[in-house]
Amino acid sequence: MLAHIRSRTHRWIRRRQGPDRGPVRLRRGRIYILPTGLGLAFGIMLFAMLMGSLNYGNNLGLALTFLLTALALVAMHACHRNLDGIAIASAGTDPPFAGQPAGFALNLRNESIAARIDIEACRERREADATVSLPPDSDAKVQVQMPTARRGRVHLRRFEVATRFPFGLFRAWAVLHPDTECLVYPRPAADAPPPPRAATGEDGASGRGEDDFSGLKNYHPGDPPRRIAWKAHARGGELLVKEFAGADESTLVFDLESAPGADLEAKLSVMARWVVEAHANGQPFGVRLPGTEVDTGLGDAQRRLCLDALARYGLTEEPDVELD
Amino acid sequence: MSNWTDGMRRLAWTVAGLAAAVAPHAQHLQRWVTATAVAVCLWRLLAEHRGWPLPGKLVRGTVALCATLAVAAGYHALTGLDAGTALLVLMASLKLLETRSPRDHMVLVFIGWFLCLATLLYRQDLVAAAWVLPAVWLLAASLLNVSRRASGGERLRPFRFTGAMLLKAVPLALVLFMFFPRLAGSVWGVPSDEKSYTGLSEELSPGDISELTLNDTVAFRVRFDGPPPPPRERYWRGPVMTEFDGFTWTRTRARAYFRPPVRFLGDPVSYTVTLEPTSQRMLFALDMVADWPRSMAEQGWDYRLWTPQSISTVVQYRARSFTRYVAGEELLAGYRNHHLRLPEGRNPRAVELARRMRQAEPSDESYVEAVLAMFREQEFYYTLTPPRLERDSVDDFLFNTRRGFCGHFASAFTTLMRAAGIPARVVGGYQGGDWNPLGGYLIVRQSHAHAWSEIWLPERGWSRVDPTAAVAPERVETGLQAALPESDLVPGRLLRRSDFLWQAGLAWDNVNALWNEWVVKFSGEQQERLLERLGFEAPDWKQLALLMGVGLTAAFLALTTWFAWEFRPRRADAAARSYRRFTVLLSRRGIERAPHEAPRDFLERVRRQRPDVARQAAAITDLYLALRYAPGATRGDLDRLRGLVRAFRP
Repeated sequence: MLAHIRSRTHRWIRRRQGPDRGPVRLRRGRIYILPTGLGLAFGIMLFAMLMGSLNYGNNLGLALTFLLTALALVAMHACHRNLDGIAIASAGTDPPFAGQPAGFALNLRNESIAARIDIEACRERREADATVSLPPDSDAKVQVQMPTARRGRVHLRRFEVATRFPFGLFRAWAVLHPDTECLVYPRPAADAPPPPRAATGEDGASGRGEDDFSGLKNYHPGDPPRRIAWKAHARGGELLVKEFAGADESTLVFDLESAPGADLEAKLSVMARWVVEAHANGQPFGVRLPGTEVDTGLGDAQRRLCLDALARYGLTEEPDVELD
Repeated sequence: MSNWTDGMRRLAWTVAGLAAAVAPHAQHLQRWVTATAVAVCLWRLLAEHRGWPLPGKLVRGTVALCATLAVAAGYHALTGLDAGTALLVLMASLKLLETRSPRDHMVLVFIGWFLCLATLLYRQDLVAAAWVLPAVWLLAASLLNVSRRASGGERLRPFRFTGAMLLKAVPLALVLFMFFPRLAGSVWGVPSDEKSYTGLSEELSPGDISELTLNDTVAFRVRFDGPPPPPRERYWRGPVMTEFDGFTWTRTRARAYFRPPVRFLGDPVSYTVTLEPTSQRMLFALDMVADWPRSMAEQGWDYRLWTPQSISTVVQYRARSFTRYVAGEELLAGYRNHHLRLPEGRNPRAVELARRMRQAEPSDESYVEAVLAMFREQEFYYTLTPPRLERDSVDDFLFNTRRGFCGHFASAFTTLMRAAGIPARVVGGYQGGDWNPLGGYLIVRQSHAHAWSEIWLPERGWSRVDPTAAVAPERVETGLQAALPESDLVPGRLLRRSDFLWQAGLAWDNVNALWNEWVVKFSGEQQERLLERLGFEAPDWKQLALLMGVGLTAAFLALTTWFAWEFRPRRADAAARSYRRFTVLLSRRGIERAPHEAPRDFLERVRRQRPDVARQAAAITDLYLALRYAPGATRGDLDRLRGLVRAFRP
């Protein structure tokens, strides 16, 4: 019953507001407000106080009751005002591996000279995913999270920005329908075999490996953190990276054809594991999928490119992952 | 303070709020209740500080049960104001034992607010209100504190913030208070409370009134429509006592008498009385009362005003009295006998004295004169500290001590009258009053309590005789302080001697009187008068609702405006405003600046699309960027930028 009412309300709000493209500035027309459980309890208390005061013909009791009533009304106003005028914009996504929650970053902007206190962002009317306070004339980033199950895309079609400040007697909220999508990477397989030797491309020309320390070179973004010479750095130098001679450091190109696994998803999982490991080891890597190929490279950007390719592979335009 | 944990800070706020709400109850709660509450609060704070575990469910349940039983044993009840308050205080302190979550704190805050209401049910004076307000404030601050969610970010001062909220709430509360319809009676029966106030009682033993006289609190205040009657006519009738056991006068239990009619003479005096709670069932009125609100009280056969219920809050009533009257020209036989009765074998010497004096005097009037002359001429003294009297109090007073207060004289005089065959009775009440020239009203205090006699004389009916006036005429003419010897300790004597203190006292009383009239006793009647002043004739509840709606709307509009001002956007600086004007001018010509576009990028676009204004646009952009980012930009640069934008015509 409650769920039914809730979904009807959702649809009604969606109809009257329409989709949100680009940044949204919250205005009176889209801020809703209702008393919380505490607010209802407060109302019952006020009623009891009113009855008691009337019964005893006690004017001061009435005055106290009315002062608290007025305080609640002011709190309702303040609660609504706390949201009114906040500008909300999408601020990118943080793609997860399947099974982890997907994070949708939001930028909240407060242009007024008064602080906005305890602003919550959440996907549904549940526990808030994040709560922030915005000092006067400031921005803050919050993340709305969405659980994922499979590789592909998830869409944030609806989220709420809400507040219960002050006193928690009322909850004011605004609903946004942004339709932001977030990629979901395949979950890295738990026990993946090492990448097949055949899959390795041309042997590394430099032959740098991890056996024998051969010297230090300047740090470049993308160098694995565990090779950074922290001791040298601590002595006050710049960031240096240790180089090793000996074992081969091959350039790895992971091919879907050669990945083991029962089905496509299992194979993509294995490949995801290889990408993650190669990235952690600081080896150059790339992926080859039918129709797509990512050239070998190093670093975080490379890891993202490869995982993006894995996540997108074989998806139709119509999003097939729907969790909302 | 900064190294307090969040839990400790929350707890401290809540305990502070609760303490403020409980404190005014300390004076009427049984000692052990207050002690328990204080002990639990301290223990809880210490437990939070030291990280001790809180007691389990079993312990808490047992303690709660014990507390309930203890209240039942100590107060012989679980309902009613006293027991209810005690229970509420104990439950709040026990709730403190399991306070962890915000919800627990919220429950405590609600209990605290209820305790504030209970305080106001006990007393409604300014001091109580002044005490309750900060308690309400602290509790609201505590609620604000526990309802906070984000731990970081903007730091908030709960007390200050809540104070600002309360200030904003005041106009709304005022509208509600003024226009909320008042009920004429109570919704359901008000439980009679067992609380007692000091005041006149319905019996009189030697020494009773002199104790009361030490009390300088206000009994009632009177506002006269015209000039007040002279002091010697200010007799406020209270309990009338006809039964005497030789020591104590009490009122009769017999009720069947009918009230002898009164013939009023001269001009009436109209006035409004604001009576402080007495917990007794009577109203006070100037002798002899002709009109009073019949719905509030009825008149007994002895002319006192009876209320159906005891007065537990401040009440206000209008009355009209005649200071000259003839009451009960005819006296029925049974009624007459009732007022001649004396206890068998008690006070024999007084009875003997009366018989002797009566034989010497032919008429009732001359006998009365003779008795008063005896008081006046023999060695009788008026004092606040008379010696204790024996069982036969009248004999002891007349023949041994000869020192007494008004009650002694009234008792002795009435006995002498009855012994001589003149129907007589003792009347208690108040005599006199302090005139407050600031407020233009009369303050009648407990210290004005008085007792006098009423005798019945053929054709003159019931007549007041004040034997005290024979001994100490100053008592009636000027007041107690003048009538008593210097050595007697009289309240307010010091006050009355210092003109400044006396004036300050009167001013303070004036504030209290206004408080009583406009806040405590703001009744349906006053509401009506207020509406009439606002131009409504014969206002009914519909107009009341309309006015409340209008008032609330106005208050809400004011609130919205205030909030809009509080949340106004930060004003951009002068350079930014000028540059904004520049972009607005261009956007009217179809060149819109995108939010992400930097001024130089935008300038490039303007150059391409409108080469004709490129030069001015470049000058404006350069100046703006210089004002923004370059060090050493001057006031002159700003003026130049303004001039350029003003002259800019794309």
